[in-house]
Amino acid sequence: MLVAWRYRKRENSFIQKFDPRAWLTFYACFLVSTLAFWDVRFLLPFWLFTMFVLFTSGVRWKEIRRAMLFIVGFVFFFAILTFLTGRGGSEIYGQEHLIREFKAPFSLLGWTPTLKVTVERAFYAVSQLVRVSTLAIMTILIPYSLNPALYGITFKGLGLPDKFAYAMDLTMRFIPTFGRDFQLTMDAQRARGYELEKISGGLIQQVRKMAPIFVPVTIHAIIGSEDIIDAMDLRAFGVGPRTWLQVLDRDFKDRLLIWFGVAVLVIAILLQFFGYGKFWVPEALIRLAGG
Amino acid sequence: MNKSLTNVAISLGVILVFFAVVMFVLGSGEAQEGALFNFSVDQATVVLRFAFVIIGLLIAFAVYYATRENTIWEVGTRQVVWMAIGAALYAVFSFLFNGTVFVVPSLSQVALRPAIAIPMFFGYAFGPVVGFFTGAVGNIFGDALTGFGLSPQWSIGNGLIGFFSGLWMLFRDRKQSINTVLWISGILALLTALLYFLNRNQANMLFFDADNNIFGDAPISFLAGIAILIGFALILAVRYFFGNNEAIATAVTWAMLGNILGLLFAAISDIWINGYSLPAAIVGEFLPAAGPNLIFAAILVPLLVVAYSSVQRQSGR
Repeated sequence: MLVAWRYRKRENSFIQKFDPRAWLTFYACFLVSTLAFWDVRFLLPFWLFTMFVLFTSGVRWKEIRRAMLFIVGFVFFFAILTFLTGRGGSEIYGQEHLIREFKAPFSLLGWTPTLKVTVERAFYAVSQLVRVSTLAIMTILIPYSLNPALYGITFKGLGLPDKFAYAMDLTMRFIPTFGRDFQLTMDAQRARGYELEKISGGLIQQVRKMAPIFVPVTIHAIIGSEDIIDAMDLRAFGVGPRTWLQVLDRDFKDRLLIWFGVAVLVIAILLQFFGYGKFWVPEALIRLAGG
Repeated sequence: MNKSLTNVAISLGVILVFFAVVMFVLGSGEAQEGALFNFSVDQATVVLRFAFVIIGLLIAFAVYYATRENTIWEVGTRQVVWMAIGAALYAVFSFLFNGTVFVVPSLSQVALRPAIAIPMFFGYAFGPVVGFFTGAVGNIFGDALTGFGLSPQWSIGNGLIGFFSGLWMLFRDRKQSINTVLWISGILALLTALLYFLNRNQANMLFFDADNNIFGDAPISFLAGIAILIGFALILAVRYFFGNNEAIATAVTWAMLGNILGLLFAAISDIWINGYSLPAAIVGEFLPAAGPNLIFAAILVPLLVVAYSSVQRQSGR
């Protein structure tokens, strides 16, 4: 049995007013445009638009709570990690202006843990936070807003051949199903006393102990595939050009959305080409640091 | 151009377009040094990475073109479904075992990545096309699910693992193919391990230890350095212990070759993409990734082969 993503038709949803192909094309343009910038002033409009899409999507908080908490935790974790270590940012900025340095009162094997708080690190973390949250929120809304029944025709409409459009469609559909199967299998094994979280022993022992989860989920998926293969064969899949049950229509607002996305992309590329949108730190903060 | 050739050319073109969209559209410039799967596609090297995606696909195409008359290249209903199942399983397992959901313990810098058994097994059981799709697309979806970024040349490397795992189907004499593969893999394992002994202070570029603030900085541990030899010895043991079971011997040896060649491709590409030296690419990236993978090839792949054989016997397919 297939388990679907938590899609449903939502009243007055901004995303769902558009053809999925138009939205995915716009989404692609939006992402590339966002990636063109490190300057928070340029990134903020994208972030605000993302917030607009989020709050008009019709997706309820309780539906995306787990996913959002995961994303927020993940984004914060990496932003803080970057702030603490300075890694990643060194490719974006060359000079750092020190605000304060914290040194641990102890040493570990001759190494004293030191935290340098610089203007660039702090602002880089903010830029990263805005940038990544924009990308992540726009992405997470797609499975909640795109009808799984339209995956195949959407990939086909984007230019993939029938067989690959259908393979991509099935891949996206199977992911939540196998996630569910994994959970069921783990529950069943737990009932028998198996605990994945407490795998111990040597390297080979640890690998061997993963088998009670790994093998049943995989083999169950392969056995289940026979029904799908039979159903597809009975419908003469692959014998000739495929027809699709649903038909997607692009109307004026879809074309408008696509052209809007393309326009944003072109402007973003031009701005980047002329040197705008690079990492930016407010002068006031640099003066504060005595720079 | 015949129909089959056109189909494969279109298929590889589609994968190329898919990667182009993923790399240029979905990748960001926020690369975390030292991580096998970066938070994003580093835009500074995106063109080079894309070039290596093309090279990887050309390798697959060259093998196909040389053997295009063989039936293993046909893509029918079954292959479409298996591709989807393989990619979805690989994505789900990658997501679950990447350390964010289940913290799989690592021993002395040897991180465990059990999901790699999926492209190995799917390549072996269902052919190189299914194996390639499983590894490449599954890796992309797995990274996308996690929120990590992409290293597209590593996705192609994962695709090549599945691809080479399925190439045993091209050989009539299985036993001879197994022996040849063992020799090639053994020589490659020895050469790469030798490079480790000559560069023992090389940093393990894949080692990620947030607690101690280590991101690819720690010198590679002895266990990680010789993991490929341990893995090779394990494969050799499985091959001879199950000497009468040709299916297991074939699966583990070809999975080993796929793992070595696929990851060598990805690691060596970093010489040009990230400006690594040869020891940094081989000792710092290839060994910590390929060695532990061989342990999964030696243990999980045979279990899957045995389980699948019994399913085949029951269902008669």
